Amino acid sequence: MANKGRSLAFRLVAGAALWIIAALAIGGIMISALFRDSVERNFDARLSVHVDSLIAVTTADISKRLVISRTLPDPRFNIPYSGWYWQVSDPRGTPHVRSRSLWDKALTPPQPVERGVMQTGEMEGPDGEMLRIRFIDVTLPDLPVQSPPVRFAVAARVSELKAELRPFNLALVWSLGVLGLGLGVAVAIQVRVGLQPLRRIRTALNNIREGRTEHLEGEWPAEVQPLVKELDALLEHNADVLDRARTHVGNLAHALKTPLAVLANEVSRKGGPRTEAIDRQVDAMRRWIDHYLTRARAAATGAVLGARTAVPPVLADLRRTLLRIHADKELTIEVSGGIGVAVFRGEQQDLEEMLGNLMDNACKWASTTVTLSVATDAEVLTITIDDDGPGLTPAQYEEAVGRGKRLDESSPGSGLGLAIVSDIAALYGGELKLKESPAGGLRAVLMLPAAAG
Amino acid sequence: MRLLVVEDDPDLSEQLVDALRDAGYAVDLTGDGEEAQFLGDTEPYDAVVLDLGLPTMDGMTVLERWRENGRNMPVLILTARDRWSDKVAGFDSGADDYLAKPFRVEELLARLRAVIRRAGGHASAVIGCGPLSIDTRTSRVTVDGNPVKLTGQEYRLLSYMAHNLGKVMSRTELTEHLYDQDFDLDSNTIEVFIGRLRRKLGADVIETVRGLGYRMAEPEDGE
Repeated sequence: MANKGRSLAFRLVAGAALWIIAALAIGGIMISALFRDSVERNFDARLSVHVDSLIAVTTADISKRLVISRTLPDPRFNIPYSGWYWQVSDPRGTPHVRSRSLWDKALTPPQPVERGVMQTGEMEGPDGEMLRIRFIDVTLPDLPVQSPPVRFAVAARVSELKAELRPFNLALVWSLGVLGLGLGVAVAIQVRVGLQPLRRIRTALNNIREGRTEHLEGEWPAEVQPLVKELDALLEHNADVLDRARTHVGNLAHALKTPLAVLANEVSRKGGPRTEAIDRQVDAMRRWIDHYLTRARAAATGAVLGARTAVPPVLADLRRTLLRIHADKELTIEVSGGIGVAVFRGEQQDLEEMLGNLMDNACKWASTTVTLSVATDAEVLTITIDDDGPGLTPAQYEEAVGRGKRLDESSPGSGLGLAIVSDIAALYGGELKLKESPAGGLRAVLMLPAAAG
Repeated sequence: MRLLVVEDDPDLSEQLVDALRDAGYAVDLTGDGEEAQFLGDTEPYDAVVLDLGLPTMDGMTVLERWRENGRNMPVLILTARDRWSDKVAGFDSGADDYLAKPFRVEELLARLRAVIRRAGGHASAVIGCGPLSIDTRTSRVTVDGNPVKLTGQEYRLLSYMAHNLGKVMSRTELTEHLYDQDFDLDSNTIEVFIGRLRRKLGADVIETVRGLGYRMAEPEDGE
């Protein structure tokens, strides 16, 4: 997956990851807010209980001064600056009575919005900390009717509230993180499993390229089935078009050859000064036809759909045929070291053309013996053909594989044979090399792509 | 030597017939597969030049039927289809040689001489019989090394007999192999040519087998 931006898997995983992160974040914030709300209400309720107790224990003495009949039970109200405070004051905030924890400081609760209603606020405490405060203005029945209301206030540090929230938030973040991770892995696995058919198609297409199968076979999911069907139809169509194109090219070439034969024979029969030139042109036309016919056939197969051809039967056919073509010479065609199970990754007719031309050439020049040997590994099929004829000089090797070059015009057939072999081999990514043979003549080494046996 | 040419292109078949007649062969021509099969099955040809793409029956089938029917005259396939798979199939169907179009007439003649020679069991292009020597490539005839001038008709008769050394040939057989289908058979013609050959080459070269026909003796020591 070189290009992540265009990979389906990446897009699916990234999209899912974005959604998972967003959903978990929003969920986390909401849960945290809900919990905070609940904790605050709980905290406020505790403060309210203290305010109620404070009202209950506050009375006016004979001189109409406000006093506390009993101390509040929570000991934190008695420790100075403990963070828990209460105060009974007038509405302006001047204390009548206050907890010992306040020492000589006063609480100054914000102005109430409505008398007789419990209210909540935040303010700075005696040691500079933020306090959460609950307060209520009440008119005490013990006091004269005209006297102002009394403000009862209880406060506690906000940090205590936060201390309750922190471990919860931490646990929440951790659990959501683990959940997110789990979901991410699940998505990745799902995408991988979900896209499995696409990978199978890729493998199947590769198999077609390698020539192991001709169609995308097997059971496919309903979503992929139409694609597979279309691909199969396309492959079939492709093979069909190639086949037709090759047939047409072949027919054209064959259709041209009879008129060419007529022309050549007519000219040589009539004689005349132009005979030789026309003869040469006819010969050139024949070579061009052969050249492009071979190329068209081979190019149509070459790299498109990999076929496989077993070498031994082709060699046996050619050997039998060549012994009859060269019946007059009483040649021996030896196969040294056994052929084994060599398989050529390509079309049978291309292998036949290459081997046929090379072996025919060897037979033409050999005095008694042509020797073949075949070696193969996983990648390369090497076929070596030796003859015991006159051979070539190194300078002639290059010429021999050049197009349509005839080394010795007196030898039957055209010099194109080796050039065509070289052309076809090149189309398959292979190579033809000419060397001096240990048998004295020419050694042709043909290297071609091998297929697994 | 009598040949059958099976070729459906009118221009090419005319050229082939002309060239082969010029080279001294008696030639029958057909451009039809079924007729070709019939002729090959019924007439005594010394060789056949066979095109593969034919109307009514393709050349390969014609050849296979001949071989199935036990007809074993040499057959040279002359075709535009020159792939090795075509050649392999051609030889496997019983062809004796394979020549791809376009071709040179000289090459066709050389190959025809070779298949006819091989069919008669002769390895060399020069056929010898006692003091007589016939070079099938150049049509030169010598007796004890001295060249002898023969007319076309005389050479054709001598060549056919030399390709069938030791075999007794009736006048009818000789006529059938020296003249094409349309020739009006007159067995006296053969007698006249035998007489001329004996005068030019020596009386003992051709032996008369009473009541049966003529025979050229097989050489005693190879050549």
